[in-house]
Amino acid sequence: MDWAGGGLPAFGASGPGAGGLPLMAVQAAARHPPRAAVLGALTAPLDGVLGPLAHGPGRGAAGEAAYYVICPAPAGPPLGAPVRAWTEAALLGQVLRPVATALEQLDSLGVTHRAIRLDNVFHVPGQPVEIGAAWAAPPGLRQPALFEPPYSAMCIPSGRGNGTIADDVYALGVLLVVLALGRLPLDGQSDAAVIRRKLAVGSFAALVGDERLPPLIADLVRGMLAEDPEHRPHPSLLLSPVTVRTRRLAARPAQRAQRPLVIGETEAWDARTLAYALAAEPDPGGQALHGGAVVHWLRRGLGDSTLAARVEDAVRHRQAGADDGQRSSAAAAAAMRAIALLDPLAPLVWRSTALWPDGLGTALADAQAGDQAVIGALTEMTNLEAAGSWESVRPERSDAGTLRSAARAQRAWLLGHNAGGLARLTYSLNPLLPCASPLLAGCWVAGLADLPAALEAASWKVDRKNVAPLDGPTVDFIAARSERRLDVQDAADAREAGAGTQFGAAHLRLLVHLQARHHAAPLPGLAAWVAAQSDPMIGGWESRSRRAAIAGHLLEIAQTGYLAPMLSVIEDPRGRIDDSAAAQRAAAEMAGIEAELAEIASGGPARADAAIRFGQEIAAGIGLTALAAVLVAAALG
Amino acid sequence: MGKRSREPRRAAAPAGRQHSLAWLQGLVVGALVTLATADALLLAALLAPAIVAFVIDRAPGRPVARSVALCGMAACVGPELALWGSGHDLATATGLLADLWTVGVAWTACAAGWLVAELAPVAMRAVLDALGLARAARLRARLARLAEEWGPPGQ
Repeated sequence: MDWAGGGLPAFGASGPGAGGLPLMAVQAAARHPPRAAVLGALTAPLDGVLGPLAHGPGRGAAGEAAYYVICPAPAGPPLGAPVRAWTEAALLGQVLRPVATALEQLDSLGVTHRAIRLDNVFHVPGQPVEIGAAWAAPPGLRQPALFEPPYSAMCIPSGRGNGTIADDVYALGVLLVVLALGRLPLDGQSDAAVIRRKLAVGSFAALVGDERLPPLIADLVRGMLAEDPEHRPHPSLLLSPVTVRTRRLAARPAQRAQRPLVIGETEAWDARTLAYALAAEPDPGGQALHGGAVVHWLRRGLGDSTLAARVEDAVRHRQAGADDGQRSSAAAAAAMRAIALLDPLAPLVWRSTALWPDGLGTALADAQAGDQAVIGALTEMTNLEAAGSWESVRPERSDAGTLRSAARAQRAWLLGHNAGGLARLTYSLNPLLPCASPLLAGCWVAGLADLPAALEAASWKVDRKNVAPLDGPTVDFIAARSERRLDVQDAADAREAGAGTQFGAAHLRLLVHLQARHHAAPLPGLAAWVAAQSDPMIGGWESRSRRAAIAGHLLEIAQTGYLAPMLSVIEDPRGRIDDSAAAQRAAAEMAGIEAELAEIASGGPARADAAIRFGQEIAAGIGLTALAAVLVAAALG
Repeated sequence: MGKRSREPRRAAAPAGRQHSLAWLQGLVVGALVTLATADALLLAALLAPAIVAFVIDRAPGRPVARSVALCGMAACVGPELALWGSGHDLATATGLLADLWTVGVAWTACAAGWLVAELAPVAMRAVLDALGLARAARLRARLARLAEEWGPPGQ
């Protein structure tokens, strides 16, 4: 029943507590982790939404690691199969009201849906529609550009962020337009063309054009498709369409130039389209920005000297003092600030990668699969705390300092001395992202509680002698998921000790902490794996016989399945001191023996002298003895 | 200058004592020849190899001559007692010297003394070398045991 998953694989499911309700399991992909915060917030069933009932790891159809979100199965097919024109009454009664009700409930829980589109809204004739599951993939990931506000659509799909409920209102507005028209507007156009069109003439005009909509629907949709999210009506207002009709928040029309500024293949007629051109065409955009063409056009073409002066200041400020190594980053930062100044509604754009700052985690998780350009841009952006700078350019649209402090924390995760790194940043921002270790292939390990059992399962499949129980990705995963500073420090020690190459005491300490906190039961396989990998740790002991004894002891302890006693045997501070002292004594003795052997080898002449001396004395002694004996014999007669 | 002038004087002191010792020995020998001519003749003849050894042996302490002399003196005790018991005169001494057995025994004793003085260092060298080899073998065995116990892992 893939049609029910809104583009994600979905399977029929059953389970206790369903009460006869048909269920489905929507499968998440490893690089697109489920929305942990939303799954945590949605604990009770909601009207009009296929809300999550349960979630957890499992196996995919091909045996791969998978994560499933269990939801009620939709009662009918999706609206998009096929699209037909709806009457105004049906739109209001069966689409607008139920969806607005659902969105109001979601908003009251601080949650957005971000997946309202034709293939994820389900309908039984004569019944209110219900919006599908949107919990098993990052927000907005599968939204077509048509259903997204242009400032979200221009972002990389995985970096659209949670957005606000106003984005869902926008998607609902598009859905109403589509259903009112009975066809997809802008059909067949590329995403970039759709975005350009929306930015150029406004979303409502771009979608509706010269078509005629029912008057009430047209008035509603005009507000719902406002470019500024603050101008869109709240879902609660949508429950009373007449009220919304009287509420007109008209945005001031954008100032339009007489002649366009051509950047690459994009023509900019106003500040908004100029911002998009700079974002979409970074190379020619950068040249126009730093060459002064943008400022000149803003001042002379658009006639906005204030905006021109602010953009000029932003460019100069960033370029001043930048050395050669920083010049490229400074140019990217200047472009980011210029875009934010030109269009405060635009997302953060860094080297043509556009995203909303709260989508950084999902963007990183997606890019880990191999998009090095995006990874480079996101890493540079995080390293320079670009989100903080971006926030400072558009303070009226951000909570004071929230992004700046978040950017600082993200930079600390990226560069921090304690097990910092891109992997740690990615895991920290994605609570349900599975550990990417090849050791855990086939297991979706999203939390530390699942890791010991997964390692125990892996221990029966790997070559214990040649593969270490903890590799780099696992250590990074532990560092990201650990709440205790000591664990993070242990992870840092383990990584410094050479994660993935040699299993050391720091790695074992991590495993001990894992077992102590998350897995009280024995882990005989993992313990045997540790024992098989214990040579480098035992190698720290000087005495060979003691090493052999410890190895034997570890094998005995491993049978019990507990790692802490193994660590005690390996660390044993008192034993280490004794061993070291004995080793020093042995070294001194060996040095003495070597010296004595050298002395014996080189002592020939000395022995010859001594032999002569002793021989002469012995000869004299013999003569003296003979004389004494004769004298005594003579005296005795 | 004062120190420098004292050094030769200090170095010359043992040489002076040796000279006076030689002079004293000469006096004793002269007195012996004068006062006990028979004894002197008998001893001179019987200890002739030892006298030769003292002349030839230039090693410090004259170890070979000393051994030859001691062994020769042991062989002289009998003839001296015979000289003293038979009148202690020059004729008796000459008579004793005419006996080839007496002279042969004395010179053989001197030869034995020379032989012992030559062989004892060789035997001693062999003993010391054997002791050294045995000690080295014990040390190597101990070293091997220590290396086996305290060597690095994997060796």
